Amino acid sequence: MIKNFFDKAKNSHTWKENLVNLTTQLLNYLIILIIALFIGAVVMFLSGKDPIAAYAALWQGAFGNGYRFADTLDRSVIMILAGIAGSIAFRTNITNLGLEGQLYIGAFAAAWAGFTFTNLPAIVHIPLCMIAGIIGGALWTLPVLYLKMRWKIPELVPTLMLNYIAIRLTDYLIAFPFRDPAAPMAGSPLIAATAKLPKLIKGSTINIGFIIAIVLIFVTYWFLFKTKIGYELRMVGLNQDFAAAAGLPVKRSIFLAMTLSGGVIGLGGALMIQGFFGRFLGGFSSGYGWDGFMIAIIAQNHPFAVFPTALFYGALANGALTMQSVTGVPQAVVAMVKGTLVLFVTVKVFVENIRKGLRKWAM
Amino acid sequence: MGNVDLSSILTLSLFAAALRMATPIIFATMGGIFSSHTGIFNVALEGFMLIGSFFAVLGSVRTGSPYGGLLYAVIACLVAALVFAILHLELKANPIIVGLAMNIVAIGLTNYLLTATFNVWGVYKTDLIIGFQEVQIPLIHQIPIIGELLSGHFPLVYFSFVSVYIVYLVLYKTPFGFHLRSVGENIDAAESIGVNTKRMKYYGLLVSGLLCAFGGTFLSLSYLTMFSEDMTAGRGWLAMAAINFGRMRPVPSMIAGLIFGFADALAVRLQQFGLPSQIVVMLPYLMTVIVLFISAVVAERHKKSLVAKQNKIDIATPLQP
Amino acid sequence: MSEALSVKNITKAFPGVLANDNISLSVEKGTIRAIVGENGAGKTTLMNVIYGLYQPDSGQIFINGEEVTFSSPRDAIAQGIGMVHQHFKLVPSYTLAQNIALGVEPRKGIFIDELALNKSVKAIADKYGFQINEREVTADVSVGEQQRAEILKALYRGVEILVLDEPTAVLTDIETKELFVMLRNLVEQGITILFISHKLREVLEISDDISVMRAGKLVGTVKCEETDECQLAEMMVGRETIGGRMRETKQKGELIMEIEGLSVLDNRDLTAVKDASLNLYSGEIVGGAGVDGNGQEEFVEALLGLRPLTSGKIRIDGKEIQELSTREIREAGVAYIPSDRYRSGVAVEGTIWENMVPGEYYVKPYSNGLALAMPEIMMMSGTLIQKFNVATPGLDAKTGNLSGGNIQRVIAARELGLEKAKVVIASQPTRGIDIAGTEAIRQMLIDYANRGAAVFVISADLDEILSLSDRVVVFYEGNVLDAGYYDETIRQRISWLMTSGKDYCVD
Repeated sequence: MIKNFFDKAKNSHTWKENLVNLTTQLLNYLIILIIALFIGAVVMFLSGKDPIAAYAALWQGAFGNGYRFADTLDRSVIMILAGIAGSIAFRTNITNLGLEGQLYIGAFAAAWAGFTFTNLPAIVHIPLCMIAGIIGGALWTLPVLYLKMRWKIPELVPTLMLNYIAIRLTDYLIAFPFRDPAAPMAGSPLIAATAKLPKLIKGSTINIGFIIAIVLIFVTYWFLFKTKIGYELRMVGLNQDFAAAAGLPVKRSIFLAMTLSGGVIGLGGALMIQGFFGRFLGGFSSGYGWDGFMIAIIAQNHPFAVFPTALFYGALANGALTMQSVTGVPQAVVAMVKGTLVLFVTVKVFVENIRKGLRKWAM
Repeated sequence: MGNVDLSSILTLSLFAAALRMATPIIFATMGGIFSSHTGIFNVALEGFMLIGSFFAVLGSVRTGSPYGGLLYAVIACLVAALVFAILHLELKANPIIVGLAMNIVAIGLTNYLLTATFNVWGVYKTDLIIGFQEVQIPLIHQIPIIGELLSGHFPLVYFSFVSVYIVYLVLYKTPFGFHLRSVGENIDAAESIGVNTKRMKYYGLLVSGLLCAFGGTFLSLSYLTMFSEDMTAGRGWLAMAAINFGRMRPVPSMIAGLIFGFADALAVRLQQFGLPSQIVVMLPYLMTVIVLFISAVVAERHKKSLVAKQNKIDIATPLQP
Repeated sequence: MSEALSVKNITKAFPGVLANDNISLSVEKGTIRAIVGENGAGKTTLMNVIYGLYQPDSGQIFINGEEVTFSSPRDAIAQGIGMVHQHFKLVPSYTLAQNIALGVEPRKGIFIDELALNKSVKAIADKYGFQINEREVTADVSVGEQQRAEILKALYRGVEILVLDEPTAVLTDIETKELFVMLRNLVEQGITILFISHKLREVLEISDDISVMRAGKLVGTVKCEETDECQLAEMMVGRETIGGRMRETKQKGELIMEIEGLSVLDNRDLTAVKDASLNLYSGEIVGGAGVDGNGQEEFVEALLGLRPLTSGKIRIDGKEIQELSTREIREAGVAYIPSDRYRSGVAVEGTIWENMVPGEYYVKPYSNGLALAMPEIMMMSGTLIQKFNVATPGLDAKTGNLSGGNIQRVIAARELGLEKAKVVIASQPTRGIDIAGTEAIRQMLIDYANRGAAVFVISADLDEILSLSDRVVVFYEGNVLDAGYYDETIRQRISWLMTSGKDYCVD
């Protein structure tokens, strides 16, 4: 009898419904992408630049050859981690806008572990720095959690303020106590060679951080959808009243979601320092925290959707450099396209109409 | 650190600087108040101001006058506000996400146009930008102490305080203001007397755009005469905190703005005394968190005393007939 | 004496319910007419039709003898009818005067003429003998004064017929007396008043005539001096139980849950439950009757650990649970079917299985270390779905897509399906559910009691209470009053307790 039920379920309405939903979403994303690219093209055109050449250079820069492609993948690492960090928080209905600050603190903590310990074997040193990054990012969420849980202060403004405080705090740290006079710009001492992430392909900056990021996507998926705690976070995010009435640990879930979010992007900071910069550099982040916010929103907080979105953002970041040097179109246009995507992502009008059309066609 | 004593820090010029640095925050705060009263918490103040700053410079260069700059800024910000309004009110997009995305778009757009229009990177500073000149108020500027404090500011500094008064008058003394505020406070009451709530929300967003244009113009045509990437530096967020602290009322919110301006000015002054600039520059943002914390503590105490009052009344009534 | 207001053959239906069934009544000018009836009798619908929020499906409305039609409440006000709602439409930060004149403020140029505003409001207040501090901020004044402002809001616009919806529900006794004095003043000035209430004691004190509604129909109109609580209660509640009795009373078992001296505050930090006590026995169904808003919600939330108690003890099998977390309370054997299924009952965006497992996912066999054991979870969910006849395309379907009745079955399946609960607390379990679903849920509760659980069903539907309960208590103004065991006269006892808090009737 049970088997019958499951067979019925597989062939039923739900399967078709799911397909319609998936196609609707993909078409919606396509439309929004076209709109965003179009608006970017219009702005470029109106200011006397050639949008086709710009986009072509962008593409070339991101995917033009093997090395460039590998570099794009490397750029995607921080995007993946930031997107995952955002997703975990938003899925639990927490408005964590402090990813940038958590990134800075995590990166600094990792750098500190990198240059403070000099006699450790790589097999210990590398994970140590990564753990330092995770702890740094997670710790930076604690003040916000205190304000939220004890005083009911919504996290939106405090997380934002802590961004600025983190950036200035780390600026101070590398200007005075941890200054490296030999650094070209304001920066910490170089991390030990044993803390650096091994490269994957010669001629590209891609390193094992990429593997870690991919693994993290799967781990996050498993965590969110296959574990007890993941279930709790998701239910608290869907309906906190229901979760409380059902006996789920609401406070603990909020705490975990926030600290994990900070921890994940802290890890992203560690990977950047250990894999790319080699030291903590002031201003190293070109807004990756905000990229994380955007990626999470676009990916609707799902780890498997974070991957292509993050890849796209990585491609934009990498390709923009080429675009700027080859065609003179400033990288900033990419920020515009990214932002415009998010502007339209919560508009339901396209989705509703597409779904109606698809339903009629499919049923 | 040099000899630090209060009298050398708390000089008149510090307070004058505080007024100056509070100005953009106050403009953004007043704009945000208008929108908040219709129920939309505008998180795009930062982006609007940045757009205002850029277009003010563009306008000043094109027209040769700071007022031309102001006009360009106003038009650009109203367009931005209109985009926000249409996305949220017509296309039903989430206003927090739209606002945050607009901030990102604003950064991208202004950075892009900086290079595309002026052929420079990062900063645009030239004599072609005509900023506002400071003005001396006749008579007042001759009074010792008060004169140094109040006179000699840029026109927009004075106008920021005028705007507080105008916002206060409109919101609290006109029928329009009453109807607008009812939308945010009790939408049922508003609808029951026939207020067009959607139109009010449009007004709220447009006015916030307008006032942010003034704030942005001040940054690039008075406080400094240039445009640099991301020059608003978080003042839009400070405005949000000021609105929160002032409970959406113009005068208390203005006071919060003044406090943040003071923190900014103090930060600059303390640097001259050898305190590390990075720490000191944290001051306004730390102040915001502290202000939120104090607000919450006070609110909880107030609620506790109200409850005690009410329950006394309640307990006093006979329970059963 | 002229007729201020008269309605003829008003009928109004909503999907699934005939709210007003051919209602005709007329009210004389300068009198107070009370409209009484239980929850769901149709009183509010009728008032909404009269004040212009709804258009009747058929029927006519006459004011002062002339037929009128309203397309909106503002039309109605223009014609002289104004409504004072139970939930005030006041802006908390405005002064009373500003609220009263909202939308019709006197002006001086583009500004509001504050002086004229306050004066004109004071003038209206004086005209009708109202005590009001018009310059006070609304949020700071008592509920009674806020209500006066709502009334003045209508009078300020020149209405002559006032409709009040449960005006005394939010007032203290003293404020109620003050309100009645004012209503008498208004009536002497020629204003006609209709008010909805279920508190018979007060209705008898203030009205001239009383119209009783039940199940959408007008049962009758009586003169106040010619009737009493007993007669009214009987008219309101009727003699026949609709649907008959489903429960066959069995022997009750041991004491499972003891609630002693429970006091709870509501969201405004006012007392919602006063020193309530209740015992629940194995195998017994206790019905919790009473009009909404007498403390039921707060009582239930306190039992489940969702709301703090100011005092009292709760015990299950002798062990105290009032300090425990919701999860621990549920582990002690409490099942809960909340009244607001969309808010607390399910996660609408979640899948069926996600809504089925919150009580089990964290223990074996439904989890294994950190991970969920999906096969076992799906198996359990599938079994429960079938057992409780939930119509759903699959376990992965979005719960919000199901009908109300099916969502309630999901909740019932989750709470009752594994047969682990010792106590079941069901709050308004069949509200808004179709007939088939209602029968099914009621049967589930009965079956569960037969298996030895203690069942507490709170319902504003008296027929449901009478159909299911072995014993009944009544929620009245925060108290839990005992109506005793089911017998032929219990219907009357319940109706008296529900409407006046007394379990006897003065003849």
